[in-house]
Amino acid sequence: MTISADPSQSSPYITFDTALCTGCGKCIKACPTKAIRLYNDNPTCLTNNCIRCGECLRVCPAGAISITTYELEALRKDKVSIALVSPVLYSQFKGVMPNDILMAIKKIGFHNAMDPSSYIEMFLYAVEEYIAKNRITGLSPWPLISPVCPVVMSLIAYQFPNLLPHLMPIMRPVFLLAKETRERISWEYKINKDAIILYHLTPCPAKLVPIRSSFAREISLVDRTMGIKDVYAQISVQLNQMKKNGIEASMDGPEPPKISGNCLRWGTAGGEIAGIDSDKTLAVSGLRETITYLEKIEMGLFKDIEYIEFRICPEGCVGGALNAVDKYMAKNTILKMLKKFGPERNMPLDKVLPRYENIWALSDMTPDELQRIFGVYKEHISIEQLQEIEKILKQIQGKDCSICGAPDCRTFAEDVVTGKAKLHDCVMLRKRETDKVLENK
Amino acid sequence: MPFVKSFNIKRRDFVRAGEASINIQNILKSLNMDPKLIRRIAICGYEGEMNVVMHGGDGVLKLEIDTGKIVLDISDNGDGIEDIELAMQKGYSTATEEHREMGFGAGMGLPNMKANSDVLRIKSEKSNGAHVHMEFYVY
Repeated sequence: MTISADPSQSSPYITFDTALCTGCGKCIKACPTKAIRLYNDNPTCLTNNCIRCGECLRVCPAGAISITTYELEALRKDKVSIALVSPVLYSQFKGVMPNDILMAIKKIGFHNAMDPSSYIEMFLYAVEEYIAKNRITGLSPWPLISPVCPVVMSLIAYQFPNLLPHLMPIMRPVFLLAKETRERISWEYKINKDAIILYHLTPCPAKLVPIRSSFAREISLVDRTMGIKDVYAQISVQLNQMKKNGIEASMDGPEPPKISGNCLRWGTAGGEIAGIDSDKTLAVSGLRETITYLEKIEMGLFKDIEYIEFRICPEGCVGGALNAVDKYMAKNTILKMLKKFGPERNMPLDKVLPRYENIWALSDMTPDELQRIFGVYKEHISIEQLQEIEKILKQIQGKDCSICGAPDCRTFAEDVVTGKAKLHDCVMLRKRETDKVLENK
Repeated sequence: MPFVKSFNIKRRDFVRAGEASINIQNILKSLNMDPKLIRRIAICGYEGEMNVVMHGGDGVLKLEIDTGKIVLDISDNGDGIEDIELAMQKGYSTATEEHREMGFGAGMGLPNMKANSDVLRIKSEKSNGAHVHMEFYVY
């Protein structure tokens, strides 16, 4: 594993099991930021180029790549463990009502399970407010880009720093949820804030990482993250038991949380903009499409669009790598549930505004800070090096075969110029040399 | 010695239109140029490319990186521009119905290029191709 020059900036995201790795090179080609190399059959990830999209995990046929994660530890008895639920969790159990799922989470050992519905609605209000304000002030450039998908944020910081001013400067719902939950629980239970551990149950592999230190301001609001598939079996067992015993969530507690349709569809592509009151919106999902659209925005297109929702995973968060069920099944579950819950917001605007004006809904991060936060950066080259690269490209006349271990010839040439690879590793070059020798015989 | 690279542009190739500009962007990004400058160059490159795709014949987009300035040179052997002064006006367009249906032809191409470049020179004659020369100063 390559360790970055400045370990405080970032930590390794993926690890390779060299015993399982066949050296097929699928991951090098799949990586959108060209962060993986396979020189001398030794897979490495350039941590500073990694945006944690998880594409390499998806394509590896040998299962040799795994994400660096925290092991699911036993819930500690001396602390208050609270589960912060991702809306996608509701899509994983067909025909089960969200409140029953929340109850099952409590039964597996959490003190409480928090539903994000009202925070998602608050986020939607905040987005609408900001769009309306921006129509007058023109402070941010159109189109505004959704800050929800963490990989999209990293991708923009890494490859499209130009577009950082387009990011909607609003905190993501889960962090709003975390912040208020910690305050409320500590007040309700009369305990110290340190005695509360917030677990985020999420389908998102990008959120699982040991936290990049400078990202702390936002992330430290959540203490641990757990993949949905890691708790899926336990929740299923509890749900079955509840069914047998005839327990329904509505019996439990004075007032079960009101689940909103806005929350349910949040996990599917287009679910975010569906709840936003503007016609000039777009929803784009999938890695390649996202990159194509970001390139187009960078060239000055889509100025007539106000808000774009990007999701790296196909079909949105239901396509997240840490889900237990297939994305299309999950999507179906959500669409069927939506009929019951409807698209209306449960929370009235006058209840949101006082809290919203306390500014906690708006994050105060500037684009510069954001770029630092994600700890991704490109190495830069000089004009001379660029000329050298073009010369090497002409010399090798390659076919982007990746046999050398770089994703394409251009990257290989860059690596040669910056001293990471040797020109001699190019098989095309060697073949032509051998051909010449054979001809002369 | 300046760095020079040429990209071919094909008439009516709407699918690949914009690729040269993306390539140029990536080159400039790797050189750690000012993001705002890159954006201006990208916008000009894209507008120029679209002009060739819509009105030009086959064309060439040449990128030249030198100390102090970056040059985009776009030439084609297509329809040419009949009245350059008119074409420079905002909203004036000779785009066909087909182009408009695809979302182009707002008549902002040349004005956009003028607004985003430091030097813009256009040489053209009716049905004798067009040559657009743009310079961007690097401070």
